[in-house]
Amino acid sequence: MPDSGYPWPIETTRLDNGLRVVVSEDRTAPAVAVNLWYDVGSRHEPDGQTGFAHLFEHLMFEGSVNVAKTEHMKLVQGAGGSLNATTNPDRTNYFETVPAEHLELALWLEADRMGGLVPALTQETLDNQREVVKNERRQRYENVPYGDAWLRLLPLLYPPGHPYHHATIGSMADLNAAELATFQAFHTTYYAPNNGVLTVVGDADTAEVFALADKYFGAIPAREDIPVAPDGRTVPATGRPAVETVTADVPAPRVYVAHRTHPYGTPGYDVTTVLATVLGTGRGSRLYQRLADGERIAQPDLVGAYGVDLAHGPAPLIATATARPGVTADRLAAGLADVVDELVTVPVTAAELDRAKALLSTQWWRHMSTVDGRADVLGRYATQFGDPAKIGERLPAWLAVTAEQIAEQAAELLGAADRATLTYLPEETS
Amino acid sequence: MTLIAARPGPGAARPYRFPQVVRRTVAGGQVVAAHLPGQNLAVALLLLDAGAGREPVGKDGVGGVLAKALEEGTAQRDATAYALAIEALGTELVTGLDRDSFQVSVQVPVERLGAAVELLAEAVRTPRLDPADVRRVRDDEATALRMDWANPGPRADAALRADLFGVGNRWGRPMYGDPDTVAGLDVDDVTVFHSEWFIRPGTLIVAGDLERIDLDALAAAAFAGAGGGPVEKRGPIEVTLHDRRRIILVDRPGSVQSTLRLGHPSPHRAHPDHVPMTLAGTVLGGAFTSRLNHLIREVRGYTYGIRGDFASSRRFGRFAVSSGVQTAVTAPALVEAVGEITRTQLTGVTEDELAVARSWRAGQLSVELQSPRAIAAALTTLVVHDLPDDYHARLREALLAADVEQVSAAAATHLHPHALTLVVEGDSAVIRDELVAADLGEVVDHAG
Repeated sequence: MPDSGYPWPIETTRLDNGLRVVVSEDRTAPAVAVNLWYDVGSRHEPDGQTGFAHLFEHLMFEGSVNVAKTEHMKLVQGAGGSLNATTNPDRTNYFETVPAEHLELALWLEADRMGGLVPALTQETLDNQREVVKNERRQRYENVPYGDAWLRLLPLLYPPGHPYHHATIGSMADLNAAELATFQAFHTTYYAPNNGVLTVVGDADTAEVFALADKYFGAIPAREDIPVAPDGRTVPATGRPAVETVTADVPAPRVYVAHRTHPYGTPGYDVTTVLATVLGTGRGSRLYQRLADGERIAQPDLVGAYGVDLAHGPAPLIATATARPGVTADRLAAGLADVVDELVTVPVTAAELDRAKALLSTQWWRHMSTVDGRADVLGRYATQFGDPAKIGERLPAWLAVTAEQIAEQAAELLGAADRATLTYLPEETS
Repeated sequence: MTLIAARPGPGAARPYRFPQVVRRTVAGGQVVAAHLPGQNLAVALLLLDAGAGREPVGKDGVGGVLAKALEEGTAQRDATAYALAIEALGTELVTGLDRDSFQVSVQVPVERLGAAVELLAEAVRTPRLDPADVRRVRDDEATALRMDWANPGPRADAALRADLFGVGNRWGRPMYGDPDTVAGLDVDDVTVFHSEWFIRPGTLIVAGDLERIDLDALAAAAFAGAGGGPVEKRGPIEVTLHDRRRIILVDRPGSVQSTLRLGHPSPHRAHPDHVPMTLAGTVLGGAFTSRLNHLIREVRGYTYGIRGDFASSRRFGRFAVSSGVQTAVTAPALVEAVGEITRTQLTGVTEDELAVARSWRAGQLSVELQSPRAIAAALTTLVVHDLPDDYHARLREALLAADVEQVSAAAATHLHPHALTLVVEGDSAVIRDELVAADLGEVVDHAG
């Protein structure tokens, strides 16, 4: 196993306007990934504007000064490329992977929407994409059983005013109230070169990428005093559990148990990552062994635990289980809580630790096996930690986590008083 | 303005190259491998001729139950010991099933591939299949399907499939069965299916750095104790089109969206029109820039997305469109979707649209075939459909060479807007009258 989690070259530069450019050459296949991280997410949204960062992401595909409406997708797909964008509480990322000869096209498109979106933004486009996003909300959160769990967990974990209190998809009321001028200002405020990181990975020459970045992005003006999001690093303990029970049109009782841990990228969160894998990844995990196999109270396909990799506040650790037929929600919740509590009292064995680390190693290399996977992580490390080369430290840090650290973290952070529990109960059927 | 207005043209393209393919016969089985130099991760996949098409009618889902039962202990160790052994290598046992094949695979750092394949073979060839375990797995699978069928989609999919292909045929029924067929399986169904189909050697697919992999040793492990030859593959199925369009309404009270599934039968995978059909499907519904997504999402805002394509297996195929639209616009969305299908059938595609479709499909062969998992999937396509090593390079050429006449002709021949079945899963009380008034076809209420 390599000493580093990133055995490829990394070169960086910064344009005069503040845009950071990261290049990682890999000539294995004739494909190149282009990825832009903007350091703006739903954590920046004030009251009454929830969902705006994500709705804005949609507007970035609708044309800019030199790119007609609908042309962005057509040009990338017409070059043989794949493309998308995502928004989360921390940030917004835009990415395309194209055959290597189309690198310059991808850079031109990204520069045009960084520097020239506002003049092309129309009321008609906003109205259309507002409807698309409302349908996204219906499809992903409202029309599926348990679909709103994440929307309910966040306010249980983070108090009003905390940047993670509300979900990225936003509320229907706020989306309906969205005005064009707000989005024009949003772009002017946050989509500045000094608030972004451009990453290029794959079949490209580093010096050439630096020159092309300067050619296409170099004249876009920097913006002074970009507003920062509210500080979410500390969440005062309430001293009592947060509990919510929902009766809904769901096929079986389901319980989520959630805790605040550490921000992604810290040594504490490395412990959380390994802890979550011990607890809830695979048939050898504690939750599977205890609830799906041992007591047989949980459905085997629907039991698990995971950390949500957020970097600007204590990131959530979530464990979940769904009841087998005939098992009550109370019994399931008690079983789930027991397994979490036992992380303190029943030491993690060497075999459990090795299993978790082996699964995490494979997960890491799987993520690194594509140029697009690598580009996104480099962009993250440059944006959130100021240095893309820190990417190489993550896997070794996971592999260095000890059983004692897991027990300590469980004792410190996973106690009942710091627990949020969300329970779904099926509606009574007549 | 400080931006560069002129759109840059492409640089010089490097030649397309699919990884080198190695084929061998070892220990009575076939090995098909792709060389990925320098890749730290490797995938091994055992491909068995045990897809849903091999399941007897009424035993739908037996393959899925068997897949789960494989991990409930082997001749050598119990379920917990097996889970700990395989996960200690960094992989879970991944099983997959389609109409033509059953796949079971591992993905590990390359130096652990040998040990992982031994464990894979142990589960596939010598599962314990204790009757009490099999019954429990069956019940869990039935519950899992009930959970899944509580989501919008599965009931609509099943209604469409039954209407196109006939519920009396295995290919007219859901891939993984339904909650009732799975609940009705008994232990013998599972053990017989195993002895019939999981002892034959099959094909071992490997994607990784072959300089660090001993293919003969992997094959010896994968095929140890296997026996029986391949079974003859059956030919394409004749499916007749309906003589009129109709709507099947699946009630989902209170639904804030209507789930749409529109479709009709289409040719099997080896049909000579495969490439022009794929491109016609891409222009109509296969890409973000397609006609359907442009109109229904980008112009109307009715949906988060709508897709349509031709899909095919060895024996049959289907054209289908799927989407979720806001309840209030169900009827207009259907009218407009049928309108785009009709327009494409009547007037074909334009050169501009086709240029995007063919470049996109060709470029995806570079862009999406990077990881060992993706390469392994590409190799399974070669094996299942009896294709040559240079298939992907040839496919790329065929895509780039397809012209407007060929693709328009494929659209004219293989799209059948008047034979469409339109399945709508939504709030019947709210949408039924509008669907009738839309006059797209008779509205039939789905039973159950």
